Amino acid sequence: MRKLSKIAIVSCALSLSLPAVSAETLKLGVLATLSGSGTAWGIAMQGAAELAAEDVNSRGGLEVAGKKYTVEITAYDDRYKAADALTAVNRLIFDDQIKFIVGPLGSAPALAVLPVSTENKVITMTLAFTPKALSPDFPYSFRPVIPTDVFSDPQVKWVVDKLGAKRIGTLYPNDESGQQVSIANEAAYNKVGATFVAKEPFERERVDFVPLLTRVLAQKIDAFELDGNAPQTAGLLVKQLRELGFKGPIIRTGGDATPDILQIAGKEAAENIYVHQAVDPASPVMKEYTRRFEAKYKVPMNAFSPFFYANIQALFSAMKQAGTVTDTDKVRETMLGMSNFATVLGKVNWTGEAQWKSNQQLDAPFYVAVLKDGAPQIVARCNPTECK
Amino acid sequence: MEYAILLAQAALNGLVIGAMYVLMAVGFTLTFGIMRVVNFAHGEFYMLGAFTAFFTYVYWDIPFVLCLLIAAVTIGVLGALVERALIQPFRGDETSAMIATLAISVIIQNSAIVIWGPTPRQMPDIVQGTLLLGPFSFPWSRLLVIAAAALIFAAFWLFMQATRIGRAMRAVAQDKEAALIQGIRINTIYPLAFGLSVALAALAGALMGPVFSVSPFVGLTPMLKAFVVVILGGLGSIPGAVVGGLLLGLIESFTATMFGSLVADILQLLLVILILLVRPAGLLGQREV
Amino acid sequence: MLETSSPALPKLERSQTAESRNLRQGAVIAVLLAVAIGVPQFATNQFYLHLANMILLNAIFAMSLGLIMSVGQISLGHAAFVAAGAYISALAALDFKLPPLLGILLAGLVTGFSAALLGKVLLRLRGVYFVLVTFLAGQVFTLIALNWESVTHGANGIVGIPAISLFGFPLGTRLRFYYFALGLFVLVFAFVWALMRSQYGRAFRSIAENLRLAEASGIDVSRYQVIAFSLGSSIAGATGAVMVHYVRFLSPDSFTFTDSIAYITILVVGGRHALIGCLLGSLFMTPLPEALRGLVGTQHILYGVILLGMLLFLPEGLVSIGRLFSRGSSRGTR
Repeated sequence: MRKLSKIAIVSCALSLSLPAVSAETLKLGVLATLSGSGTAWGIAMQGAAELAAEDVNSRGGLEVAGKKYTVEITAYDDRYKAADALTAVNRLIFDDQIKFIVGPLGSAPALAVLPVSTENKVITMTLAFTPKALSPDFPYSFRPVIPTDVFSDPQVKWVVDKLGAKRIGTLYPNDESGQQVSIANEAAYNKVGATFVAKEPFERERVDFVPLLTRVLAQKIDAFELDGNAPQTAGLLVKQLRELGFKGPIIRTGGDATPDILQIAGKEAAENIYVHQAVDPASPVMKEYTRRFEAKYKVPMNAFSPFFYANIQALFSAMKQAGTVTDTDKVRETMLGMSNFATVLGKVNWTGEAQWKSNQQLDAPFYVAVLKDGAPQIVARCNPTECK
Repeated sequence: MEYAILLAQAALNGLVIGAMYVLMAVGFTLTFGIMRVVNFAHGEFYMLGAFTAFFTYVYWDIPFVLCLLIAAVTIGVLGALVERALIQPFRGDETSAMIATLAISVIIQNSAIVIWGPTPRQMPDIVQGTLLLGPFSFPWSRLLVIAAAALIFAAFWLFMQATRIGRAMRAVAQDKEAALIQGIRINTIYPLAFGLSVALAALAGALMGPVFSVSPFVGLTPMLKAFVVVILGGLGSIPGAVVGGLLLGLIESFTATMFGSLVADILQLLLVILILLVRPAGLLGQREV
Repeated sequence: MLETSSPALPKLERSQTAESRNLRQGAVIAVLLAVAIGVPQFATNQFYLHLANMILLNAIFAMSLGLIMSVGQISLGHAAFVAAGAYISALAALDFKLPPLLGILLAGLVTGFSAALLGKVLLRLRGVYFVLVTFLAGQVFTLIALNWESVTHGANGIVGIPAISLFGFPLGTRLRFYYFALGLFVLVFAFVWALMRSQYGRAFRSIAENLRLAEASGIDVSRYQVIAFSLGSSIAGATGAVMVHYVRFLSPDSFTFTDSIAYITILVVGGRHALIGCLLGSLFMTPLPEALRGLVGTQHILYGVILLGMLLFLPEGLVSIGRLFSRGSSRGTR
């Protein structure tokens, strides 16, 4: 790879006079949780990178400045631990000489990784809902997924108006992501006159929620909010809530967990759950993407995956326009300059300046869906100001 | 009245997890009492039991009782083989044996991840519905766990009291030297005891499979709890494991219901450390000489 | 029982060839040091340098745990002391603007002192009971770090921890830190080596070999165990502080039970009864996960297999391979 960059420089110069097409490799790193309870998200990211590579390579490679690059993926597991993520990012940057990383995943790993990636001008696409993940201090950090503090306000308003729920109960994991999501959600509920009458943090490895749910249900709640719980945990919560006889609506104002909820709780228990729906599952492009993903990985696709695919599409396109696969400054600027860019998600833009002073948040429409008979049905279409 | 419902729910739930803790702790303490080995892989056998029950129940579609039996036998035999091949070489060296079980635990858990994947699987309920007693509602699936655990423990108790092998195990636990003189063969007793111990863990896993979910990670928490229980009850003491298991289940359930889970977790650990310091041999254990 | 099963780290030899042995040892150490100083020349990229730094730090953690094991007690909560040291220094640097070097010193003192207090109580427990109580104490520490948010920043972790600066010379780069870590390693190594040759070392060993015999022959067992526990924890705390100023991020996840197990593994793989085993073990175990990071799961399986294989076939660790080749020549470092 280091050789490659030298060749690239030389051949960039040459290509001005000799527009011949020759084969090279372009390495893309994946740094995500590929073991443990965050795996569904990690595989979503890895899958996006691998499918994007597959698509480009099947057309003979990515053509940049007269050269065809075969895209290769190097994926490392961080076990959802900040220290592991740090070692892995060091390795991606220094050993594998990678300039573009799909990751990190989770807020703690992101905060550990971003200083290193920024210092080395490496572009990252993070799945972390912490507001600190986007900032002028991290000019190479992009976020393709829409965080809770953007979608919770319009979604919560719509759901609360529809259900008339005032007393909300919730359980959330006691870690950075869990706390972050819960804070954003609580604020959103308070704005529309509902309150968290029972909220309980718990340690991540807990599997028996019955005592905690008993405690929450004793507060006579109108609805239960699943918050930012990991997909499996969300599934267990739904199951145990229904076992305890809770028949009210359940709301998921957090990342996509629908496949896991259906798998763990079963479709009867999952009736009447209002979920944040990142993509429209009925769109034909999305259907095709989902089919490919599920055929390849044999697991239900997590809805975060197409967002990363979309970001990689933008990245590849920016590389072509900028005419470089090594100069991350140029690629970054070109990518930020793109608007109404057509992706698997439909037309996307960049946003975020007002909230984080960094315009590197992917902007795409999102939805509220309700689970009926084991499938999400879209009931409202949203943008950051309202749901309809 | 509402308070009464809350307390009843907490008590029932305490009994359910308590029953699971008892099965885990009895096996754990058995290995220690007889072989002097702290088995860090105990939770992985729980996980294997859960997977065995899952696959036999879902794919073979046989009665759940048979699934339990298959889980106990296969995992028990596996445990005996593991003891014979990997733990026996460290006889008399507690430290190495303990580290060996740590290694075994890592190997089993990660093999499970590679083979079955990390995604949890949902096992269909064995029994459905809820028992309604006035204002109280108890899911049958949880009541089943209590009943099954009680039956399993009764069978185990009978085995230890009434069979030749059971008596031999108790003799070794009480006084190894004397047992040796009486002609009890350690090389047969140890693998059998280890097999029996992990079979109990497998049964616990198989019973809890339908209540929670089944994944390669489910063994960790029950094992930690087994640690706590045997310290409460005294290492090597079977009555201590029963009392300690039920007590821990109830304490955990009540504190979590009343004060939330963080208080429950910290309180539990501090309580155990306190007991260790005041009564190092546990509530019912005998002090080692 | 534990008390009898884990003899001390170095063994004092009263051989008549002490002088020639010392010479040989001196030569070996000089060569090793020269190689160590030259490592950055071979480290073709920053990642390898990062690994070298982690190898040195892990070796020190293993040595500090070895010190505690040298009085026959195994701690499964060692990572808690590492974490405590890291928190003390990181928070002192951020909240009180204490220079990292002083923070590291403070971390060593506080962890050493609290270990002495804790040790007085905990070390009354022997064998398995001590193992279990240290295990639980480690869990309690993680829970506290997670929930005492106002001080520890909870699960969010601490970011922006400053790098060590040596008399105004910042050690932020991997290369500069390497020499600092190497210096620290040599210092700790020399300290433990000397300690094991003093009357303390002799007392430690007799306790580890036969606790009751040691007690009967008038050795104040509890005092020596507390000293070893306190020294080992203090080194762990100070080194944890050093590490946090290098990694510059700290969360309750940073040092947990898994890390305590990793230190034990390093000791076992390298050789429990030899000081140099800590370095050998770390040299082998620290880069190992990297060789397999792409292969999820398989990596950890291999980790377990190696640990088990070492216990079964090479119970004295990698150190004993060297001994097979040159019998006697390395006995001095036993």
